[in-house]
Amino acid sequence: MPEEEGESLIHVAIEAEELFQLGPLSFTNSMVGALLTSLLLGLAAWYITRRSSLVPGRLQSAFELPVELMSGIVSASSSRWRGYVGLILGFFLTILVANWIGLLPGVGTIGITHIDASGHEAVIPIVRPASADLNFTLGLALVAFVMFVYWGIKANGPSGYLKELLGEPLYMAPLMFPINLISEFSRLISLSMRLFGNVFAGEVLLATMIALAPILIPAVFLGLEVLFGFVQALVFALLAMTYIATAIAEHHTTDHGEADAAGADHPTAAEPAHA
Amino acid sequence: MEGNVAALAAGLAMGLGAIGPGIGLGIAVSKAMEALGRNPEAAGAIFVPYILGIALAEAIGIYALVVSLLLIFVA
Repeated sequence: MPEEEGESLIHVAIEAEELFQLGPLSFTNSMVGALLTSLLLGLAAWYITRRSSLVPGRLQSAFELPVELMSGIVSASSSRWRGYVGLILGFFLTILVANWIGLLPGVGTIGITHIDASGHEAVIPIVRPASADLNFTLGLALVAFVMFVYWGIKANGPSGYLKELLGEPLYMAPLMFPINLISEFSRLISLSMRLFGNVFAGEVLLATMIALAPILIPAVFLGLEVLFGFVQALVFALLAMTYIATAIAEHHTTDHGEADAAGADHPTAAEPAHA
Repeated sequence: MEGNVAALAAGLAMGLGAIGPGIGLGIAVSKAMEALGRNPEAAGAIFVPYILGIALAEAIGIYALVVSLLLIFVA
């Protein structure tokens, strides 16, 4: 801890900081966080599946809890849920672990000392939670974006997807097409910004609280951050799920002519009027 | 002085931008609790739309946060 008072105590950097150069790439501290996340999840998956049994033990039950929670929610979203339940669960677990890594002791404080551009001595933390870096959240949001466009095209066909973008009365298309296009892309922005904003704001809040009142008070906010980390992981996964489910379901509300297997067991509100 | 004006703008953006989401979240949570009180069995059905609703309301606050971060770090 430096001796000076005020802002030097609070370490806030909006972009991930570079640890070392790896050829043309700069290896940042959020990459360490992302690698740690993957490593933890991979190890957990390997360890649990290696000795899994039909009657789960205590540890296996703990790991099956999030899987059961998410598959319970996803299976209610659409009849084709088996196609994307793995993706949604992957989002949930990755973001959950990435968020919670930031709360481990030493993550924001242990680092490399260096002299920055203004001549001050600054500490670059070795590990930064991956979801406090916009590159990571934007990458996740891009995957979600590609997937819900893919499911929309797969369920409705390319022409059906285009018809969805053009809007209902065709003469309104010049007005509706840009609006629909913007709303598709705004999902990408809001998904990535929501996660980044929440986790980054949480990091800043913790740093500020530790600088203001180092004893006991930060514990309250750490508890809050555990809750927020979980809620944000859930929100991202549920929004991605809803986008995919609506991309699939839009088909059934627009034309009932070509009913397929997916629509058979999901009667929409409009159908009783036809009967 | 320039930095101070940006800091003032950032504070105003965040503070004013938090009013709307705050009201919206309050309405959403109160209605969800009301629904839960009337029909406790509907907890499972309410949960997912509730989370999605508060996430969308909260996104507006996050936009304000992004604007104020831009004002502090970029502008």
